[in-house]
Amino acid sequence: MRILIVGGGTGGTIIANNLSRRLSNEIRQRKAKITLLSASDRHMYQPGLLYVAFGQMMPDELYRDERSLLESNIDFQVDPVEQFDLDKNQVITKSGKVHEYDILVIATGSRIMPKKVPGLDEGAETFYTEEGAIKMFKALREFEGGNLGIVVGVPHKCPIAPVEVTFSLHDYFKDRGIRDKVNIKYHYPINRMHSIENVAKWAKPEFERMGVEIETLFNLEEVDAENKVMKSMEGSEYKYDLLISIPEHHGMGVIEDNGLGKDGWIPTDRNKLTMEGHDNVYVVGDTTNLPVSKTGSAAHFEAEVISENIASILKIGTPVTEYDGKVYCFIEAGHDRATYAMFNYQNPPDLKTANKSMHWFKMSYNKMYWTSVRGLL
Amino acid sequence: MSTPTDTASEVHISEDDIKRIAELASIWAAAQDALTDDMVSRMASAFSEGMTLLDRLTRNEGLMRLLQMLDHPDVQCHLVSLADSVHNITRDIATAPPSGGGLGGIIKLAMEPGTQEGLRALSIIGKYWGEGLRDLHHTGGKK
Repeated sequence: MRILIVGGGTGGTIIANNLSRRLSNEIRQRKAKITLLSASDRHMYQPGLLYVAFGQMMPDELYRDERSLLESNIDFQVDPVEQFDLDKNQVITKSGKVHEYDILVIATGSRIMPKKVPGLDEGAETFYTEEGAIKMFKALREFEGGNLGIVVGVPHKCPIAPVEVTFSLHDYFKDRGIRDKVNIKYHYPINRMHSIENVAKWAKPEFERMGVEIETLFNLEEVDAENKVMKSMEGSEYKYDLLISIPEHHGMGVIEDNGLGKDGWIPTDRNKLTMEGHDNVYVVGDTTNLPVSKTGSAAHFEAEVISENIASILKIGTPVTEYDGKVYCFIEAGHDRATYAMFNYQNPPDLKTANKSMHWFKMSYNKMYWTSVRGLL
Repeated sequence: MSTPTDTASEVHISEDDIKRIAELASIWAAAQDALTDDMVSRMASAFSEGMTLLDRLTRNEGLMRLLQMLDHPDVQCHLVSLADSVHNITRDIATAPPSGGGLGGIIKLAMEPGTQEGLRALSIIGKYWGEGLRDLHHTGGKK
């Protein structure tokens, strides 16, 4: 069985390693082969970018060589896919190589789309790229006070990020002794302060305690970077001195270019995690159009299900398990407290009071992530 | 009026138990005050890398087979004998005069009983190794 995994992020790497463990005998007997195609030879721990934006981590701490994370019996190639031909069970890469498969896993991830809003790229800081996080840190260091706006586009990777960055901004300026000179205002596009209702219920009193203003139903229309004003589709305006943006995300261009899904999100069966209409194509992580958070955690739990099913298809001819929508998100509530949200399709999260022990759990997980992607945790 | 649950709690949690819980809480609080984020990160990093190393070692079939072999007392004796040999080799090489070279030197060396025993040992290792490799090729490593 030829198993082809496209994308070397969290989901793709976990599936490759998990399958390598489950199918080690079959690989040795040449009954199975795992190939992983990636656009990069490096693997980034993306949640670490928020720490880079506040000077708490250095960018080089976020990277490992992808090869060093993979089991030795995985055929790893840095050669991004450009064409998907699902009817012929093959893909064509940038180098022109044709890869045929029996089972395909699409794990291409997502990307920010700041240029969709006029002026946003020029007028706002963001922490979703390494360059952006460093630039944001420098802007924060130079900021001595005034109006600081946080604005959110949807959909976006890591739904908790807008809340976390607000907590971190409060603590950052408090530590610098200038919190009283900074007016923080949080703008969110729907009619409550977070898409997950229980997160909104938990965060609202916390924001009030910190003195953070909230404006809901604020869908960003444009940013006037020269005059430092942002306008919403609903007609309101906000004059800022520093603007932090969580930009709208799309799936990768190659997905949209090949007509696999609108805006790069692939229509996916919510339990089987197969692409609609293609039983031998699995979709994992940000690439799906599922109503779950676009987080490494969701990708991790989906990857466990996909690996188990691919292995069972090879061993007994049928999948054995289904994805229940499980997500587990740490929520950093500032620089020394954290809590978490765990939920699935059936049960909403029940957030506990933030504390230091959970913050340390998150700090520890930042390092143990590498054990996760190796398929061990 | 007490419920059965209340009564059970009264029976099972004594004042000493509460003191111990309070002690544990104070130790945890002391650790929280003493440790920094960096310290926690470094410990987690060491744990994570240690787990990875342990995982790789325990799934390494060659290493596991070697450890199994080393469990046998006779293999341990051989290992001690090998270690002694290495020690003697270094001593002999350091004290022996430099080799004169030439075909005569090779013939003289080949005639020594130690050389012949060494070659015989290497030849036997080669025989079993060759058999093992052929077996591995035929079975794909699955016994």
